Amino acid sequence: MDDRTKLAAGIAAHLQGLRYDDKRLAEIAAEVAVLNDAVRKAAAARLAFDDEPAAFASLMEKEAK
Amino acid sequence: MSVADLALADLSEVADAIAAGTVTSVQATEACLARIEAWQPRTNAFLRLKADKALEQARALDKELANGKRRGPLHGVPMAHKDMYYRAGEISTGGSAIRRDWVAPTTATVLQRLDAAGVVELGFLNMAEFAAGPTGHNVHHGHCRNPWDGTRVTGGSSSGSGASVAARMVYGALGSDTGGSIRLPASACGVVGMKATYGRVSRAGAVARSWTLDHVGPLTRTVRDNARMLAAIAGADIDDSTTSERPVPDYEAALAGGVAGLRIGLSLPEALVPVDPAVGAAVEAAASVLGKLGATIVPAKMPDFTALYRAAEVIVKCEAASMHRPWMEAGAPYANQVRTRTDAGYFIPATAYIDALRLRAHFVREFLATAMEGVDALILPAIPFPVPTIAETDVEASGGPATLAMVARFTGLTRPFNTLGLPALSLPCGFDANGVPMGLQAIGRPFDEALLYRVGHAYQGATDHHRRVPA
Repeated sequence: MDDRTKLAAGIAAHLQGLRYDDKRLAEIAAEVAVLNDAVRKAAAARLAFDDEPAAFASLMEKEAK
Repeated sequence: MSVADLALADLSEVADAIAAGTVTSVQATEACLARIEAWQPRTNAFLRLKADKALEQARALDKELANGKRRGPLHGVPMAHKDMYYRAGEISTGGSAIRRDWVAPTTATVLQRLDAAGVVELGFLNMAEFAAGPTGHNVHHGHCRNPWDGTRVTGGSSSGSGASVAARMVYGALGSDTGGSIRLPASACGVVGMKATYGRVSRAGAVARSWTLDHVGPLTRTVRDNARMLAAIAGADIDDSTTSERPVPDYEAALAGGVAGLRIGLSLPEALVPVDPAVGAAVEAAASVLGKLGATIVPAKMPDFTALYRAAEVIVKCEAASMHRPWMEAGAPYANQVRTRTDAGYFIPATAYIDALRLRAHFVREFLATAMEGVDALILPAIPFPVPTIAETDVEASGGPATLAMVARFTGLTRPFNTLGLPALSLPCGFDANGVPMGLQAIGRPFDEALLYRVGHAYQGATDHHRRVPA
């Protein structure tokens, strides 16, 4: 089991109380890595301290045709 | 109009004929019931049919009209809806086994609005389990089948909505769209589907897939029908705080505007999903038609969809994991597809989920400044490849990498617009080598559904893809 899969196993057992076999944990760990990396990179390139989720709704109203 | 002709007429034609007194709601309902009898065995589009109730409702609406009361432009029109809209006192399965016998305690806002508009409810339609699948497979209630070719998928998750409208079993149907679930079945079944701007239509009383990315919307045979149906369901709702207070325009009145003078961006994005040459050619041909109608077609500067797509996945998986956790922990009977599409949500860091939410405004700003810069609308494919077979995309029977990859590719060009929350209209633009429909998407600025309807209506006025009926 690689480190990433071990981490997933720890989250499943200790934080979420969920059971998966090792094969499925490895698949989940790989999937989460892709998703997490994509968001981290996008966030690092764009987000500032004052950005909040509600800005989306405000922007849609401001940009409305 | 004969019963057979009546079933093949458009929603608007039938509604106007009912208003004029040349057709009754009972006749329209009987015409739909005859189509359902013929087509349900071939499509499995309906989960529950309410024939007697529908006829009773139609008789009451005819009586109202005879007494001089017309509720509105949908008075007396029969429809059916994805089985995720709650009707108080009635079963609402969400396409699941878990809720096979569950009775809804409330009625969805959109159903209340269609009731007020005088719509006849024929029943509730097949869908992917808890709206978690882009193909139309359902192991609990049976797969929905494409009316154009019963071996092929309908697209999902609003599978029954696409199939029932295409097979002329109903004049219109509600679907919902979290990653393409209105636009994919609209494309695969050859009908019109609108995912309006986030906040345009209330989600109250609808089963959620993702509160942040869910969009409620109509599937119909024509753009005019769709405009009429959206007008009936759109608008602010105290039961859904994410709805906009913005007034609902008269979409149907705007249809006559045409496309002359509009600038329309054309894109065949290759980032996440390669576009099949046949699909690309159909969308380019559609652009050419719009050009001949007076629009200026320009190449669109589309951004890389990867971050938009991944952010949506993070949001959907985290929200779905939160809502399904109690049942999943208890070992409830989910299809593997639902579990595998949800599992990652238990492991994604909360900061990634929140960052994905914070990124949405940035993504919208960037998209408007690049892809939408200098254009009124964009067009691009809906499903980027010919509609595959049910067997080719059966994740339960064959969960191999090739099957999973094909299923994932369905939403490559639709899911990014759920992240953006922008309006997206799917409409038929041709048929593939198997005789199955292909569809395009038209994308607009926030709350500019009226312009997309103008584009779609002008296109349908010059083409006849939407007039073809499955044999």
